[in-house]
Amino acid sequence: MIWLIAKKDFILNLTSSRFVIGFLLCLVIIPFTMVVSVDGYKNQMRVYEVDRAEALKKWQEVKVYSAVRPEIVKEPEALGIFTRGIEGNMGNSLTIRLGEYPLLLTGHAGTRDNPLLNAFFSIDFTTVIAILMSLLALVFSFDLFTREREEGTMKLVFTNGVSRSAFLMAKFLGVFITLVPILFFSFMLSTLIVVLNPAIAFSSAEWLGIILLFGAAILYLMVFILLGMVISAWSKKSSTAIVVSLLAWVWLLFLVPDIAYYSSQSVSKVAPYDNVLYSLDELDRVFREKTDEKWGEIQKQMGLDGIGHWNWSGGYDGYDELYGCTWETNEFHRRLNAWREPARLDNADKKWTFQKEWLDGLQRQERTRQVMSWLSPSEIFQQIASSLCRTSPESYLNYMQRIREYRATLIAYFHGKKLFESFSYFTQQDPKTFLTIAKTQQMEEEGFFDSKNFKVPPYWEGSYYLPLNLDDVPKFTFQKQNAAGSLKASLGLVVGLLSLGIALFLVVIGVFQKYDVR
Amino acid sequence: MLQAIELSKRYEDGHLALDSLNLEIKPGEIFFLLGANGAGKTTTINLFLNFIDPTSGMLTINGIDVVKQPLLTKKYVSFVSENVMLYGNFSARQNLDFFANLGGKTNLTRKDYYNVMRSVGLQEDAFEKKLKTFSKGMRQKVGLAIAILKDADNVILDEPTSGLDPKSASELMQILANLRNKGKSILMCTHDIFRAKTVADRVGIMKEGRLVMLRNREEFLQDDLEKIYLHYMQEAIMFDDANLKS
Repeated sequence: MIWLIAKKDFILNLTSSRFVIGFLLCLVIIPFTMVVSVDGYKNQMRVYEVDRAEALKKWQEVKVYSAVRPEIVKEPEALGIFTRGIEGNMGNSLTIRLGEYPLLLTGHAGTRDNPLLNAFFSIDFTTVIAILMSLLALVFSFDLFTREREEGTMKLVFTNGVSRSAFLMAKFLGVFITLVPILFFSFMLSTLIVVLNPAIAFSSAEWLGIILLFGAAILYLMVFILLGMVISAWSKKSSTAIVVSLLAWVWLLFLVPDIAYYSSQSVSKVAPYDNVLYSLDELDRVFREKTDEKWGEIQKQMGLDGIGHWNWSGGYDGYDELYGCTWETNEFHRRLNAWREPARLDNADKKWTFQKEWLDGLQRQERTRQVMSWLSPSEIFQQIASSLCRTSPESYLNYMQRIREYRATLIAYFHGKKLFESFSYFTQQDPKTFLTIAKTQQMEEEGFFDSKNFKVPPYWEGSYYLPLNLDDVPKFTFQKQNAAGSLKASLGLVVGLLSLGIALFLVVIGVFQKYDVR
Repeated sequence: MLQAIELSKRYEDGHLALDSLNLEIKPGEIFFLLGANGAGKTTTINLFLNFIDPTSGMLTINGIDVVKQPLLTKKYVSFVSENVMLYGNFSARQNLDFFANLGGKTNLTRKDYYNVMRSVGLQEDAFEKKLKTFSKGMRQKVGLAIAILKDADNVILDEPTSGLDPKSASELMQILANLRNKGKSILMCTHDIFRAKTVADRVGIMKEGRLVMLRNREEFLQDDLEKIYLHYMQEAIMFDDANLKS
């Protein structure tokens, strides 16, 4: 009996103009959306390849350990084609430094060749599905009961021994089997565009992610069908039901996200990063002062009037590279670095307390926004989608956490190899070839440095040395979350959406039991 | 058999729509329930079909309590409404097929549907046409065909002749007579006193929720039914006017 009514509704829906319009909308919007997303992803990949090559080049040119600054370039998320999420707005690279904890990615955020085109607003596949499917679900369900009542067919159906619960199930099923093919077609069309593009290759985990996304979309569709049914069961007239449905749609899809965004900023305030920068600058200033003090202290300990350099590159960020300098200068730098670099790490720890507080604030604010936006099934679906597609803020923050862990590994490596207190931290020159000041003075007196006779030993120049072999230095690796991990991460939201569906189902059962069929 | 015992219905707004109605329609009987608008005719039908619950009293269809076993009683009753709309994008045959299946008749063929549509006087060329192209009379015939196909023991009709041309109304009466001959209990609510005179076995007049007059065929043919009916209608109109003035 349920299937009979559902089949009837399915056939009637198929021949309705709303089905044709809905199908055509998907047919037009999905390909355009996907083409733009695929193009965006290809641009991101191109930028990624260029940035990665540059980072590799820099890595391969390092000649002293103080210049080891691993540059992390984040690979674009292929599933970002479907759900852009935070991807593309947060930069794509970051240089690891001892003096600071990695906070947020920098580098290319927009990937369009023409920056003026960044004004172009494009929505992703998931957003299209969220908008279209919710609209279609409401359009097909808002008059499920009111239409039958107005046309008098409901009376006739109920005189044939159909229970209200069976009728309700049948009506739900009728809309569901009408819309699932449209949803399936949309997914097939989008995956076809991906498959036909030779530049994109999805892993099996990514295909599984798309299947899970399809599952989430079905759940989302069901929630909106049930919402339409609740509205229909509460309304006496179709004209009332359509107005209420459209208002609900606008509220849930457009107003709730905006309200959540705005409210989260009021409820969970975060101080501007400029305040944090002020504290960081202050800590850096103290660190520099202490470094200057230590400079004088070591100089005094070594009985040096000053520090002379032949060939020195360096800066406040810890980069230090010396060639052709006296033994005293090298020793001075070794002692200074042995104190300065651990102190730099301590300073980074102090800075991190401020940065972490700020970052936690950002997370709290985002979390508040997320929780507030759970008032909208559309937002829950979008959050599930970005979690499944690994483009959620949580995925991003996990990535950043992994970078910080990598920095810790790198520091442990430096400590383990006692690099801070070694000459190799700042020079490749063999310490046996370091000349003492006394020796230099003797050589000067002997006329060794006369411009006519003097020829700079090649090992006094940085260009004499080959880059370091950094094969045993830890490299950054990031194990992308597999589909099961993504599902686990979004399980709470899936359960939330499911619970919302069950709640709406119970409401519609309750309301429809009292529905006046006359 | 349709039976109402001390049946009352008071709506949420306090209006007493039905007041201690006692009614019994036997197999092979056509009962016409007459009355002005708001007299309680449609309420009676809604109670028999369990669209609303009675405030007090009891209803049975073939001896089964309508309130206690609503789904079971639906097996034994067919219904034809005043405005048969059905599914406009389905053909007449598709509508018949759907409702026949819903009523449990799953082994009917296209020929069976055509036969029943012929029996209610529907034109052959209309069988496969979409219902939205049908006139009201044609739709009523399809509604009746659905009721016939269900082959239930009891048939309830709510103002079925309203808006029908005289020929169609006359055909409808003939169909009802045929159903009576098959032993069906028929309850028809109507204003159409003239049709009552042609086929009704008994006639009841309702006023303000009460059955104020009950006559069998011999009695109402002997009496001047129109006069009696108009008398009650006039009282109803005067009552309405008084209410309006107050």
